[in-house]
Amino acid sequence: MQKLFRWASKWWLGLIPLAVMWGFAAWNNTVPVEADLSARSAAALKDTVLDKTRIAVDGRDISLAADAFSEEGRRDAVAAVESVPGVRLVDDRTRLVAEAKPFVWNAERDVVRVTLSGSAPLPAMKGRLTEAARKELGGVEVADQMGLARGAPPRFEAAAMLLLDQIGKLKDGKITISDSKVSLSGMARDLGGREAIAAALKNLPEGFAVAANDVKAPPYIFQAYKDPVAATVTLTGYVPDNDVHASIASSASRKFSEKIVDNLKASIGAPGSFNTAVVAALGALSRLSTGTLVVSDREVKLSGDALYEGAANDIRAGLGKDFPKAWQYKPEITVKPAAGPVDGSVCQQLFSELLGKGRIRFEAKRSTIDPDSAGLLDRLIETALRCPTTNIEVAGHTDSDGEDAFNRALSEKRAQAVIDYLVKAGLPADRFTAVGYGSTQPVAGNDTDVGKAQNRRIEFLVR
Amino acid sequence: MSYLVSFHMGWLIGSLLLGFCMGWISVVQRGNGTSKVTARWLAVLVAGLVAASFAQVVPGRFGYWLDLGLVMFACYLVGCTIGAWLRDRVVSRSQPAA
Repeated sequence: MQKLFRWASKWWLGLIPLAVMWGFAAWNNTVPVEADLSARSAAALKDTVLDKTRIAVDGRDISLAADAFSEEGRRDAVAAVESVPGVRLVDDRTRLVAEAKPFVWNAERDVVRVTLSGSAPLPAMKGRLTEAARKELGGVEVADQMGLARGAPPRFEAAAMLLLDQIGKLKDGKITISDSKVSLSGMARDLGGREAIAAALKNLPEGFAVAANDVKAPPYIFQAYKDPVAATVTLTGYVPDNDVHASIASSASRKFSEKIVDNLKASIGAPGSFNTAVVAALGALSRLSTGTLVVSDREVKLSGDALYEGAANDIRAGLGKDFPKAWQYKPEITVKPAAGPVDGSVCQQLFSELLGKGRIRFEAKRSTIDPDSAGLLDRLIETALRCPTTNIEVAGHTDSDGEDAFNRALSEKRAQAVIDYLVKAGLPADRFTAVGYGSTQPVAGNDTDVGKAQNRRIEFLVR
Repeated sequence: MSYLVSFHMGWLIGSLLLGFCMGWISVVQRGNGTSKVTARWLAVLVAGLVAASFAQVVPGRFGYWLDLGLVMFACYLVGCTIGAWLRDRVVSRSQPAA
């Protein structure tokens, strides 16, 4: 031992080169040691749930700053870094993410994008919600403005996912979760969308309730366009169901002599008394030379050209009365410029053409004119106005059913009813003569219903 | 400790070799070494540094450098001891022959 102390007293000389080596070692290794510890610490934190993680290394001391989502998660993160080999001290600068009260999450849709805002409980869930929105909306920009906060209600993710499914059904609007209350506002993309959303909300996870559902349905549109050049009436838009569809289609075929192009689609969401209002509006459209009918919710807009001034006034004034209450009628009727006068033979030809394409209808066994014939009568009046110097015989015919005397009287009454209609429209009464032929001049066999229908007719004969 | 050793293995081996050389020389070197008083003061200084290292009171990079210095110093001492002991054996074996 004595020897050892004697030797050791001479070892100090080596401390000088040792100090030099130490200096080099420190100079050479400090940065690599720090980089290595930083990488190992980051790897150790890979499985922990943290936000805004920042690792700073000073020598072998780690300063860990991060937002944790629970006290346990925070402890685990610090312990994970402390257990990294080589780490000497850990400066715990972690903190808990703020608790949101109330916990609010929003999904807002406008024309160009969907914005997700408010709070999400975990970074991974934030990513899943954004991804779900992108998937649901395919192609629409999704802006993620969500922050992170504690305090989400249980089953928040399931509720948010269900609501994200609904955002696709909105044209624009906002969906909000505030704690466990769900509020929706905006406009549904399609008819029926509002009802579909209301149905989906019944599947909200337990604990969630709908505080307000102010989603509006888009306007319920029905349109009809009468094109005199193509001789078509095009029906587009929506009808509530197949029964109403059939009813409107048959009403249109009675009112119009033109070809009906039926592009109607069935959809729920029609306003009350839809059928009554549309049938009345189609009646008015049938009296126009050319025109457009737009029924939007409870508003009816009719624009076009009437055949003569009296008809225009009639349409402007009369139709409002036919509409159910709470419906608005906005006519924009002008009068078609009068066609030039023609002689009697042309007039006869025009009458024959009109009555060949359509028939004046009456109530069964009575002389009351069916309102569906108003359009045809307007055309007959317009034609009669073009040959003001001619006298016209209005001839009534029936089928062979019933007694001859009754049929003759009925056909004359019907011819007279037509003349009364023409006179009421402004034509001089002395130009017309009513004649009832009963069933004496059939144009088809009376043994079939089709033949009988052809025999029941009114003819205009220029004298 | 094991991390420090494995990360700085080259430097520690260097310290060990340096110590070995110093130990080897110290056995036959003539002249005075450090006085007892100085040696005591040096021992106290080293003990203080070791205590500071274990108590982890020196922060950041300085703490790391201190740990590194002490580990290198420990290797140096081990090298010195081995070197001196081996030289002593070589010297004592050759003397009876002479």
